[in-house]
Amino acid sequence: MKAFTRRKFLYSTLLGGLASPWLGRGPAIAQEAAAGIYEGVSGDEIVLGTSAAFSGPSRGLGIELYRGAQAWFAQVNEQGGIRGRRITLKLYDDGYQPVPSVQNTMELLLRDQVFALFGYVGTPTVTRVLPILKKFQEENVYMFFPFTGAQPQREPPYGEFAFNLRASYREETAGLVENFLGIGRRRIAVFYQADAYGRSGWAGVREALGAHGEQIVGEATYSRGAQFSGAMREQVEILGRANPDAVICIGAYGACAAFLRDAIDLGLEVPIANLSFVGSENLLQLITDSVGNSERYSRYLVNSQVVPSYEDESIPVVREYGELMQRYNPKVPEPLFQPDYVPFEKSFVSLEGFVNARIMAEILDRLGDSPTRSRLEEAVFSVSDFDLGIGEPVSFSEQRRQGMQGLYYTVVDQGRFVPLDDWQSRFG
Amino acid sequence: MNMNVQKLFRRPLFGIFLLFGIIAVSTSWVCIATVDSQLSEEYESNSRGIAQTIADASVDIILNRDLSALQSLIDQFLEIQGISYIYIVNEEGEFLAHTFVPGIPEVILASDPANTESVERQLSGADSYVEVGSPILAGVAGTVHIGMDKSVITLKIQQAVGRQMYLISSIFLVGIIAAILLMNLAAKPVENLLAYAVELARAEQEGESVKSALLERDDEAGQLARLFLYFSRVADPEKTGTGAYPKPS
Repeated sequence: MKAFTRRKFLYSTLLGGLASPWLGRGPAIAQEAAAGIYEGVSGDEIVLGTSAAFSGPSRGLGIELYRGAQAWFAQVNEQGGIRGRRITLKLYDDGYQPVPSVQNTMELLLRDQVFALFGYVGTPTVTRVLPILKKFQEENVYMFFPFTGAQPQREPPYGEFAFNLRASYREETAGLVENFLGIGRRRIAVFYQADAYGRSGWAGVREALGAHGEQIVGEATYSRGAQFSGAMREQVEILGRANPDAVICIGAYGACAAFLRDAIDLGLEVPIANLSFVGSENLLQLITDSVGNSERYSRYLVNSQVVPSYEDESIPVVREYGELMQRYNPKVPEPLFQPDYVPFEKSFVSLEGFVNARIMAEILDRLGDSPTRSRLEEAVFSVSDFDLGIGEPVSFSEQRRQGMQGLYYTVVDQGRFVPLDDWQSRFG
Repeated sequence: MNMNVQKLFRRPLFGIFLLFGIIAVSTSWVCIATVDSQLSEEYESNSRGIAQTIADASVDIILNRDLSALQSLIDQFLEIQGISYIYIVNEEGEFLAHTFVPGIPEVILASDPANTESVERQLSGADSYVEVGSPILAGVAGTVHIGMDKSVITLKIQQAVGRQMYLISSIFLVGIIAAILLMNLAAKPVENLLAYAVELARAEQEGESVKSALLERDDEAGQLARLFLYFSRVADPEKTGTGAYPKPS
């Protein structure tokens, strides 16, 4: 373990003071830091810190992402850990709200002294946390594989403090726009969450349409935290007036399911696309559980994904994921456990968490027997053309801080998400 | 405690009511005008400051970064009390970021996106807003607009006027009770004098004499009592010249 130097102590004290407006106990944290817990690594443990939505209308995202990651980490730990150190996730719930995510991050960095941040959920949360990483840049604090495809953690001034594995929203929206335009659906409207996430997707659609000389024909928004029980009729009416050929939704499952329901009920029967963040299974479950004929609604759905179908067991990583999810069936630990939430056996979100954990473990292994934060970046950049078994090599470099670019489109068939191969026959 | 008001004092009491009413209305009006003016100026000034801050911070984001960063920026300012909406348009009037739900209101879509003057807007239903603007990079990169909810100002005016009215009403109530008590105190000798005069008239008819403490008083009531007695004696020749009572001075 690295010695706790005087500079480190002074810095910890200063950071404790900085944190006091949020936590009200900065000096105490600095004292705890001074007690010798350093960089989240001990002789037998590496601690990663997570702030995600484990409660509220988007809890399914945080829970499923954690379950997928934990399925892989559980196996790693069972087999002796990373060079003798088991991987532990320190979890905090932010309810998909920015202010708690900032508080949690300060807690993770100052009190828990985690090795790295891992598995954060959401754009509005992550964008608020990024400046903290810059503040801690001398400590080499990095964020790994947040569950968001937004740009702020992919470009200056904060891009150098985060590593992404999944494709970006810009790529997802561009893919959707290309496919819609390809089948002659040129009038595209956007339904989005009124925050940084929604804006990121909106900007992606705008840019992709702009490249073809088109514009967004209509837009409607909803407030973050909106639930399926709420009405989206106003939004449907606003978009309906624009007479769109397709709608791209940038939201979470509760609001997007409500929009789909109200759109079809009000006669807006056009393809309704969602991004990977939506939480496809949660969305479909809301629709299926609430309406008599879910096929009437789900046949308009098309969701983009950043991981392949979890049903396709010809893909090695999918097969491995299925086995480990069944073997460990991870549960969110107390006190974050939500007894009324029934997790999915498999989902796109948990598969993404699984893939994230696989690469994270690989990076930790490449740090050698004495892992330090200062060598993290070097370890990440050493991952080049790594075969994850997903059909796409994973690579990182100074210029490439996003490991994969793969996009997959899915539609609902007989109550399950299946790959969409032919846009023309489905939506043409 | 006798709270009946003598007929003699009903008009003065009405005058006091009227006076208090005028004071209450005039001070409330002055208060409303002052609070309204000062709060409106303060809110507008603060909003202009915030708009300027966002405009300054937006330059780099608009030119170099993703619009989600711009949205994240304005979302933070929306947490300030009184600010109801923020939107940013580029130099061509295209909306780059905004906080409207479920959509951008028609009245704003139809407005001049480059305007930075203060304007009043009626958006959803009866809600009224004051909007200020600030140019980004002297307007060549767009404009920031901030809408303040006027109901916040109205609520503060109502609170200030309410507190003042509460104070004035309390003073009014205490003043009226005090006025009635003082008037009754002042009316007591008149009541006694009236009773003495009636008793004197009765006694004169029955040939009796009347004694009263009023005759011993050295104020106006005592003088009037002695005057009544004098006149009763003047009216009765048998009693004149007895010298029992002095002639009124």
